[in-house]
Amino acid sequence: MQHVVRNRPSFANIHLQLQRGDRIIAEADAMASMSSTIDMRTRFSGGPVQGLLRRGFGSESMFVNEFSTASEGELVLTQPFLGDIECLELERTSLFLQPGAFIACEPGVRLGLGWAGLRMAIAREGLFRLRVSGRGKVWFGAYGGIFSREVTDEYIVDTGHLVAYEPTIDVRIGMAGGLFSSIFSQEGLVTRVRGPGRIYLQSRSFGGLAAWANAHLW
Amino acid sequence: MIAMSPDFTVETTTRKKRGSGGGLLKGLKRMLAGESLFLNHFTATKPDQTLLVGPRLLGDVIHRRLQGGSMIVQGSSWLASSTAIDIDATWQGFGKAIFSGEGLFWLKCSGEGDLFLSSFGAIYEVEVDGDYVVDTGHIVAFDDTLQFAIRKAGASWIGSFLGGEGLVCRFSGKGRLLCQSHNPPSFGALLGPKLKPR
Repeated sequence: MQHVVRNRPSFANIHLQLQRGDRIIAEADAMASMSSTIDMRTRFSGGPVQGLLRRGFGSESMFVNEFSTASEGELVLTQPFLGDIECLELERTSLFLQPGAFIACEPGVRLGLGWAGLRMAIAREGLFRLRVSGRGKVWFGAYGGIFSREVTDEYIVDTGHLVAYEPTIDVRIGMAGGLFSSIFSQEGLVTRVRGPGRIYLQSRSFGGLAAWANAHLW
Repeated sequence: MIAMSPDFTVETTTRKKRGSGGGLLKGLKRMLAGESLFLNHFTATKPDQTLLVGPRLLGDVIHRRLQGGSMIVQGSSWLASSTAIDIDATWQGFGKAIFSGEGLFWLKCSGEGDLFLSSFGAIYEVEVDGDYVVDTGHIVAFDDTLQFAIRKAGASWIGSFLGGEGLVCRFSGKGRLLCQSHNPPSFGALLGPKLKPR
C-alpha cells in the first residue's frame, strides 16, 4: 500500500494506492473519490453501544467505512476541515485524539472510547475522547496546521488547539488566570498538560472561527 | 471581480437555471421565481487592461482550455470563461437523482476558449479510463465524453446513508475529471451548529 498526504498544510488530503489484501478503516464521509475496483463496507465502530456513545457524546459518527480491493485501486480520503493531516505509525502504543480529529487507520489499530472527564465536557471538548492503539498507521487532522511538541514538565494549551496527545500526558482543565482575566482576556479555559510525552497542536481553532463568524452575523 | 483597470465595459446577462436540486417543492418554487444565473461580461475598450477575479471560498483556481468539446462544471466552481464559450445552465444530467441537491447546480460549458474553475480545497485531476467513483460534493468539472450514474456508495442503502457517504457518482468511459479535496456541506455541517440562530 502506498500513501501520501497531499496539499499540506491547508487542504491536506490522503491519496492511497491499495493492493489486494490491504484494508483501510475510515471515518464516515471521509471518502472523496476512489477507483471502481475499491469495495466499501459500512460497519459500527466498536460494538453498537460504543458506536451510539460516540455519536451521543463525541462528535464522531457511530459508523466507519472499511475499504479493500480484490485487485488494486486508488482511494482519496479527506476531512471536513481545511487544514493539515498527520500520519503516525503506532507500534503497540496508543494515542488520545480529540473529537473530530480521527480520519483513518490500518486494521491493526483499535478504536476505543476513553472517558475524558467532566471538566473536558464543560470545556466543550466532549465527554469522551478517542483512544487509538495497536499496530499500524493512523491519520488524524484538524482545522489549521498541525505541529507537535515534546512536553517534560507542565505546559499550557488553549483547549481548542489540542489535537492529540500520548497517554503518558496528564491533562487537566483550568482557568488561564484569575476569574477576571479569564473572562475578559477571552482566553477562558485552558488545558494544563504535564509530561513526559508528546502533544499535537493545531495552529487554528475551529471554535475561534465560529466565534468570529458569530460576531459578524449581526 | 477583485479589481480592474478603468477601461472596461461591464454588462450583466442572465441564464435560466434548472434542476438546482433540493427536492420537488423547492424546485417548483424556483421555477416560479425564475431563478437565474447572473453573468458579468467584461469587455476591454482600450489595450492593456487588467482584470482580477477570485472565488469566495478558500481553495484552488485553475485554467483549462476547451477545444470544441464540452465540460460539465459544478455551479459554484465556475469562475470565468472567454465569451466564445457557451454556458448552458439548464443541464439536468443528474436530475434523476432526487438527492443530488445540496444546492448544487451544473453548467454545460462548450466551445473553444479559456475556462477558469475554482474549488473548496485543492483540485486534483483524474484521467478516467474505465470506471471511477466520486462523492458528488467533490466534483468540480468533467468532460462530457464521460458517462455517469448516481449510485449508492455501499452495498446497501442503509450502509450508504449511515456510512456518511450517501450518494456517489460513478463515471465511466474516457475523459478528464476534476475533483476537489474538500466539500462545503461537510465543513458547513460542522460550523452550522456553532453559529447563533437568526
